[in-house]
Amino acid sequence: MTLWFVFALMTVAAVFAVLWPLSRSRPSGTGGSETVVYKDQLAEIDRDLASGIIAAAEADAARVEISRRLLAAADEGQREAAPQANLKLRRVAAILALIGLPLVAATLYLRLGAPQLGDFPLAGRSLVADASQPLVNLVAQVEAHLEKNPTDGRGWTVLAPVLSRLGRYDDAVRAYRNAINYAGDSAERRADLGEALMGTAGGVVTADAKAEFERAIALNADDPKGNYFLGLAAEQDGRKTDAAAIWQAMLAKAPADAPWRPLVQAALVRVGGVAAPALPDSAMAAAKDMNDTDRSAMIRGMVDRLATRLKQNGDDVEGWLRLVRAYLVMGERDKAMSALSDARQAVANDAERLRQLNEGLKNLGLDG
Amino acid sequence: MIAEAGHYALVLALGLALIQSTVPLLGARWRDAALMNVARSTALAQLLFVAMSFIALVTLHVTSDFSVVNVYENSHSLKPLIYKITGVWGNHEGSMLLWVSILALFGGLVAAFGNNLPLSLRAHVLAVQAWVAGAFYLFILMTSNPFLRIANPPIEGRDLNPILQDIGLAVHPPMLYLGYVGFSISFSFAVAALLEGRIDAAWARWVRPWTLMAWIFLTLGIAMGSYWAYYELGWGGWWFWDPVENASLMPWLAGTALLHSALVMEKRNALKVWTILLSILTFSLSLLGTFLVRSGVLTSVHAFATDPARGVFILLILCVFIGGSLSLFAWRASALKQGGLFAPISREGALVLNNLFLTVACATVLTGTLYPMAYEVLSSDKISVGAPFFQLTFGPVFVALLLAVPFGPLLAWKRGDLLGATQRLLAAGIAALIAIALVWAWTYGGATLAPLAIGLAVFVVMGALCDVAERIGLFRMPLSISLRRARGLPRAAWGTMFAHAGLGIALIGIVCETTGNTEYIGAMRPGDVVPIAGYQLKLDGLTPRPGPNFSETIAQFIVKRDGATVSTMTPSKRSFATRGMSTTEAALLTRGASQLYISLGDATADGAIAVRIYHKPLVLLIWWGPVLMAFGGLLSLSDRRLRVGAPKPAKAPRALQPAE
Amino acid sequence: MTRKQRRLTLICGALAVLAIAAGLVLNALRDSIVFFSTPSMVAEKHIGPGKRFRLGGLVQPGSLKRGENLAVSFSVADGSATLPVAYTGILPDLFREGQGVVAEGALDASGTFRADNVLAKHDETYMPKEVADALKKQGHWKDDYGAKPSASAAPQPAQGTMR
Repeated sequence: MTLWFVFALMTVAAVFAVLWPLSRSRPSGTGGSETVVYKDQLAEIDRDLASGIIAAAEADAARVEISRRLLAAADEGQREAAPQANLKLRRVAAILALIGLPLVAATLYLRLGAPQLGDFPLAGRSLVADASQPLVNLVAQVEAHLEKNPTDGRGWTVLAPVLSRLGRYDDAVRAYRNAINYAGDSAERRADLGEALMGTAGGVVTADAKAEFERAIALNADDPKGNYFLGLAAEQDGRKTDAAAIWQAMLAKAPADAPWRPLVQAALVRVGGVAAPALPDSAMAAAKDMNDTDRSAMIRGMVDRLATRLKQNGDDVEGWLRLVRAYLVMGERDKAMSALSDARQAVANDAERLRQLNEGLKNLGLDG
Repeated sequence: MIAEAGHYALVLALGLALIQSTVPLLGARWRDAALMNVARSTALAQLLFVAMSFIALVTLHVTSDFSVVNVYENSHSLKPLIYKITGVWGNHEGSMLLWVSILALFGGLVAAFGNNLPLSLRAHVLAVQAWVAGAFYLFILMTSNPFLRIANPPIEGRDLNPILQDIGLAVHPPMLYLGYVGFSISFSFAVAALLEGRIDAAWARWVRPWTLMAWIFLTLGIAMGSYWAYYELGWGGWWFWDPVENASLMPWLAGTALLHSALVMEKRNALKVWTILLSILTFSLSLLGTFLVRSGVLTSVHAFATDPARGVFILLILCVFIGGSLSLFAWRASALKQGGLFAPISREGALVLNNLFLTVACATVLTGTLYPMAYEVLSSDKISVGAPFFQLTFGPVFVALLLAVPFGPLLAWKRGDLLGATQRLLAAGIAALIAIALVWAWTYGGATLAPLAIGLAVFVVMGALCDVAERIGLFRMPLSISLRRARGLPRAAWGTMFAHAGLGIALIGIVCETTGNTEYIGAMRPGDVVPIAGYQLKLDGLTPRPGPNFSETIAQFIVKRDGATVSTMTPSKRSFATRGMSTTEAALLTRGASQLYISLGDATADGAIAVRIYHKPLVLLIWWGPVLMAFGGLLSLSDRRLRVGAPKPAKAPRALQPAE
Repeated sequence: MTRKQRRLTLICGALAVLAIAAGLVLNALRDSIVFFSTPSMVAEKHIGPGKRFRLGGLVQPGSLKRGENLAVSFSVADGSATLPVAYTGILPDLFREGQGVVAEGALDASGTFRADNVLAKHDETYMPKEVADALKKQGHWKDDYGAKPSASAAPQPAQGTMR
């Protein structure tokens, strides 16, 4: 409520700034004029002459010139119409200020601002650190710790996946490399490193990333992540049959309750391998549930942010798809569906975007 | 609430700018004093609201309110307080808010202290000022709004970039902005004059203090930026002809020309059309500077915000303001009355020459800066235009300008006596020749151009002194009379002397730094001694030291001269392991105007460390020169005749004191 | 002199200075501009030894070797070609393997790029703009590098579901 009161006060002040000069019948300053400047210049010549800076002849010439300008300026001043009051115009200006100004300000502000949000200064928040965001703080602590003990392999191992989650892929890559250096090589770390490398390249399995996955496989031929991404590399290279072969081999060896099973099956469908048409959503959601609560809370924060951003700017088809996908992964089908309809609305005016959206939805297994 | 109040204040400022840009013009058209006076109160109110907005953003940064996107992206709770504050304008959105704050500040100053302006001129000036402000408020609100919020605020900010935590980087952008934006006033005056269709000598008197103020800030801003690059970037260079630097140099050149042509206009009522054009061009170049930095059109060391969408908006602003004002100029300029006559050899003639050289120099810089862009558009090849280009083009033009500088003040108005001026400059000429001979003998076999350049610099400095000596009749008259005259000499004359001498002093620094520089680059082990320029530098040891969020290797150098220890120097290298970043902290030892400069490279496997040591003779003169120039400008500004708002000496106490 | 003559003198003087300046500019543009190339452009265009140009690309990971007396060598790659670079001196703070770099110098007879200046200039996304542009043009660039990390917070479908 105070906020609106403050807004009102500010608006009144702004309106007052316009009305005040209009209300005064006799304006205070009628302003200076050129004659003052020229008189000043004449006085200055006298001063200069007195202190001997300019010669008498020069001074005379200058005086003549300035006097001429002075006369011209005085003439002009007389010829000019004297200021007059134009009441009709003043009334228009007053109305403009009284109605136009608040109207423009309110319209623009309501479009841009977020009056429902209060302040969140850090001082007031760290006491009641909300459970949804502890990771970012932890990261800072762990980073500080590692600054002092750069050979702490366990620290790097803990930090690396978090950095990856935060989207700091460059840092994650370094952290994984350090973890491998100081905490020992393992198939999992190699595969994670490869995944972080992919992150730096925007999701493309680069040669570097592929090399890491291959190293992971060399250490443990059954490492699921390494195998999966090698398959993805093959798919990205256009070798769909190779990809299918890799993934089929994975499925054949995998235990029936492996959490990643549905994902590989979905990928297999994508490259046209043997179909295993179980809809992956629920299984994926189940897999997610096995993760620690921290992580899911953090993902939720990200998803919420994405949703807010899309509410402000709905042009981003990729973003909408990611949002829908994220809700599906989190097992919130209702939200996914409402996001979907929001997305349709947001891009309804743009045929090209709508087509992209529908195509993307098809890939997600949602035809409409 | 703070964030939203700041946001709303900015929106209100836009609303006020819209009113200020129309109502006063109507008032001037129908000669209604009250309507014209609306400009004044709205300008002050605008200043109030923009200041509120800016203070709100600073508060948000200080309290680390990460619900604001701008704070979240550019701050961090662990930043020291000073960098939390300077971080406000270390990013695009914040720096644009600073830009409009300064714009509103200047508008407010004109409103508050423009009592000596005719009512309609003031109304016009403030209206034009409001056009510019309105466009930039819109730009900020639409494309770079610093008050956007995050519904679910993160607990920690993203930026702790160590490279940006530097006090020099924090201070010089506001200085530059004060300069850039200050020229908006002369622009507004010029457009107002075109709108009114009337311009005369008094106009120049009114516009000069504002131009001078902007020029002082720009001079200091450029000097500070250059010094920052010198000590921070770690390779001892102080000017890189980088597009961002050029962007600040161009308005400076045009602004310097404007200062001089406005002088002709004030004294002689001549060069009116040209002065108007220069006012427009100077601010256009300032806008272009903003555009070059903001849009990332040009690759640059400083590139910190690159976003084409914003670029298009700024390009639009550029087109409207530059194109609009130039069209207005083309349409109305011919209607302006012709001014006074003068012979080619005269003070006016000299100032025209000055303007010619300065604008040509400015044009060469503009060519060199924009050519790569044009070339890329036309042939899709990327090229870069570096220092050699500017040395070959800007150099000769500036040498010609410097040769002419001492003559100008010695020539009389209207019709000058070149022979007489030459005679009076004899002392300066002789001093220059002696300097050439001395330097040549001393650096025998060295660069041939260096002695000549030093001679030129001495000529400029001595010429400035000669001018004042001549005016107060030093050595011609008894000392007591000279002293009395010196006291009576207008401060503007002293200002001219300091500014011109500063030019020469900067040149001495530049020549000494470029030709007399000694450097050593190599790997050193603890205990190694390097002799350089008469000093012996011994690497005493390398000490690791943990910092708050980095680890630091400090190298201790003992500096000796003739066996006696002079000082110790401790350059260091900081590494931020989790971010994989390292920064170099150079060590500087000032001896007189010369400096020893050490920066560290990487440590090699066998315990040695790569070291770069420079001895830079008289290098500080490069920055003392501009400081002297700015001081000269300040003296001129304090001259009673130029004071804003003090039409009569009796009202002097009400005068605007030069801003610190 | 009449008013007309005076103005003529002024205009002639101005034109003379402008002409000289234009001459200087044209002359300098012929001699002192430096082209920008990526390693594959170097191969395509057969840039001869001795011609100065700016080489841009990514520092090939693992290629950085330090020799005696601050000599360094590394390779610059742009996805389809690499070029060895030799440099003597101190590399800038921002120089890193796998990141963008711009070096100025010329090729020697053996096809090594002798750099006399190495700039690792970039903004917070670690990519010199000209390098990014060149890589994009050659199609070695997938996502826009400037994309905010929030855009990759929920990456490819596969990522994040495998743990």
